[in-house]
Amino acid sequence: MIKFKLGKDDKTILDYSDLAFIRKLTKKMRDPKTRFDPREFVSKGEDYLFNYTNKNVGSVDEKRRRFLKSLIFGIAAAAVVGIIPGVRVLVPPTVTVTSGFPKSLLVDSSGNPIKASSLPVNSPYIVIFEYPMTGEPNFLINLGDASGKPVEIPPTKVVVPQTGKTYDFPGGVGPYKSIVAYSAICQHLGCTPPYIHFYPPQYVGPAQLSAPEPDQLSAQALLAAKQAKVPALIHCDCHGSTYDPYHGAAVLTGPTVRPLPAVVLEWDSSTDYLYAIGAVGVATYPNGSNGIPSTNPTDDLSSSFGSPVGNKTVVSETENPFSS
Amino acid sequence: MSSRISDWFKERLGLDDLPFFRTPDYMYKVDYWLGALVAAAFIYTVISGLILLLYYNPEAGYSSTEFIINKVPYGSVVLYSHLYGAYAMIILAYVHMFRNYFAGAYKRPRELLWIVGVIMLVLTLGASFLGYSLIGDALATSAVDVGEGIISSVPGLSIFIPILFGNYDAGDYGRVLAWHIILVALIGLLFAFHFFLAEHYGMMPSRKVKDKVPAVYTKEEWQKFNPWWPRNFVYMMSLVFLTWGFILIIPNALAYLNGLPQQLNPFLNPKPAPPPNSPAAAHITTYPPWFFLFLYKIADFTSDVLVFLFIGVIIPLLYLIIVPFLDRTPYLHPLKRKVFVGIGILMITYLIQTTIWGDLTPGIQIPVSQQILVYLPPAVITALGLAVIRPKEDKGGMIKGTISPIMALVFVVVTSLFIAAGATFLANPTLITAGVLIPFAGIFILTTKKMAPVALRAEAQNQKVISEEVSRVPEWKKKLAEAMIAILFIFAVILASQLWIIPSTGYLSNLFGIDLGLIFLMLGEAISLYHYVVYRK
Repeated sequence: MIKFKLGKDDKTILDYSDLAFIRKLTKKMRDPKTRFDPREFVSKGEDYLFNYTNKNVGSVDEKRRRFLKSLIFGIAAAAVVGIIPGVRVLVPPTVTVTSGFPKSLLVDSSGNPIKASSLPVNSPYIVIFEYPMTGEPNFLINLGDASGKPVEIPPTKVVVPQTGKTYDFPGGVGPYKSIVAYSAICQHLGCTPPYIHFYPPQYVGPAQLSAPEPDQLSAQALLAAKQAKVPALIHCDCHGSTYDPYHGAAVLTGPTVRPLPAVVLEWDSSTDYLYAIGAVGVATYPNGSNGIPSTNPTDDLSSSFGSPVGNKTVVSETENPFSS
Repeated sequence: MSSRISDWFKERLGLDDLPFFRTPDYMYKVDYWLGALVAAAFIYTVISGLILLLYYNPEAGYSSTEFIINKVPYGSVVLYSHLYGAYAMIILAYVHMFRNYFAGAYKRPRELLWIVGVIMLVLTLGASFLGYSLIGDALATSAVDVGEGIISSVPGLSIFIPILFGNYDAGDYGRVLAWHIILVALIGLLFAFHFFLAEHYGMMPSRKVKDKVPAVYTKEEWQKFNPWWPRNFVYMMSLVFLTWGFILIIPNALAYLNGLPQQLNPFLNPKPAPPPNSPAAAHITTYPPWFFLFLYKIADFTSDVLVFLFIGVIIPLLYLIIVPFLDRTPYLHPLKRKVFVGIGILMITYLIQTTIWGDLTPGIQIPVSQQILVYLPPAVITALGLAVIRPKEDKGGMIKGTISPIMALVFVVVTSLFIAAGATFLANPTLITAGVLIPFAGIFILTTKKMAPVALRAEAQNQKVISEEVSRVPEWKKKLAEAMIAILFIFAVILASQLWIIPSTGYLSNLFGIDLGLIFLMLGEAISLYHYVVYRK
């Protein structure tokens, strides 16, 4: 900076930036491409000079500003680029099968929540809760192997023989992923417990061939269980429909042409509570046109089937059919 | 190139001809721009609220809140910052209001501007209460229960409960959501009105320039000031981005705090409490949202709801609305309006005191003797203090050697917080309360130090009268500011690249909010530096 001493104060005459500006201007004036025309200057006066500098050099300040502006737009651009992964917020969530269904806590008859780890494995009792509407019974089963140890039930694809279509069964829940819930209304002609119920491994044997109703097993069902290598069954004594509880209650033997609809369970590992949160598979009531069932389980939520169970549903052990 | 683009817009939008207030140089201080901060918080909250509206299902309030937090990509970032945007708006609205109260900005010709502002504060508190209730957790339902109890115990008002809350108890939040949006829309409309009134009268000039009503610059005086475009716009954008940065950083950082003591929870925890029907809900003390803690405490003073409503709501509100007509003196200096300044100081003190009290002893009945013990000393101290301090006038009739209203406000707040923290520490000496006390004590000492010379050497200090003679900013400072912009740019780019690898849900997703907030802070700071380099003389 060039300074000028005047009494006590320094007075600035020329800034470095001004100096640079002057150097640049003189260089442009000498450049043959942008030569300064003195004749024009004489005729037009200082307007020509100002226009000339603006066009060829620009003011010093302008350049500095432009650089700073570009930095700021750079930061703004960084902010915009940074937000881009955030716009995933705007992508709508995929609709889950449980939409529209109530979330119901499973409680016992005195209102205390059912603990998943205290559910007996392979219980011969018929354990039932109503869901999603009152009057719609569902089995609650803790599945095990032949020796009574809980078995993990993996997610599977279940085929609907009537239509050939498939759906995804989400698998078991609970500490061993062994707890499942299926509709207790037979998909053949709508028989309910005790005519349809779960047969634990110890009751899947030739002795049941001659057992009295409602505990009889057909030879066909026994054979199917052996072929499918499953230790236990859900069987309906009315007409002999058999379902495979280990694979989403898929059809093992007819006359049914539809698997049992499954209730989607949720297990809260911190409290050990179980919640029913929805249903998958066919609709419980095969009331579609020309006998083809609706594949949309939310059809069961129509008010013509009753009222929703609310945020709690009672689990009851109705009876042990085998003891009699 | 960039100037050509900006010229194009300037011409098309007529930016030079906007009927907005042209601003003198000395007004580029946050003091004069508190309204812009409130507006920035409002706009942020509206935008994040509209995003939440895409997901929120009023038929299942709590579970859709949980869904937004756990399942929606960056849902917790949006939700928490929406909450804290509303918090920021409430706090900044109070600061904005009290600053203008002490500055006397409610006086002629700005009475209507003031009244609209007070109505907006009420609407903001209402919208915040409804928004808070939308979570449907144990605290929200209990707050609604308390609110319903208050409304229904006033004869004739209970018909409003179903209108306001609908089937809230059955878990249907449709009405609450609708009213939340309706109130916010009303705030938006009034904001437009408030803003244009403010631009019409212009920002309130410094007391050193106009010390009597009507404190407005004439249109001729305006013409000498800086045009609205682009300088005001640049300055405003820096404030907007700084506000947004804090709104994003604070809640998302707080989301990583766990196990806060119960007393700090209503202030610092952005996460919802358990749902009201869960077993865990039995273990939490219920309290209203923090901005209604003062009302909650006042409700413990008396069993008569009408008395409570008069003390807690109607009298302060009526006072604020009619204060422009009560205070008819032409003077703007606080010491020439001692009664009103005293009432203002007591309002702030009582608001903070009662809020902290409500937090410490939620729902505990307080006998009258104890109420007097708490509320009398501040009143006596304020009265004595104001009686002792006398305005000094210099030769020109100017009052000098006093502190700015914002500084007084800060001092009152800091002192109250320090006293409250000290009382908490004495009552409950633990590491946490000590940890709260120490920073407050530090801030208090710093503030007092800053205040002390003003108060002690009031006469000796010759405050600079604002004039055209402003010392130029040295060139090296501007160079430093330019270098800082470049550094901020580099950091912003680094952070932006980091943002792309943060998981969209789960524990780490809140880092997105922190980082994005930091970029906003950098952007705001860079614009502020640019303003410094380009416009400061």
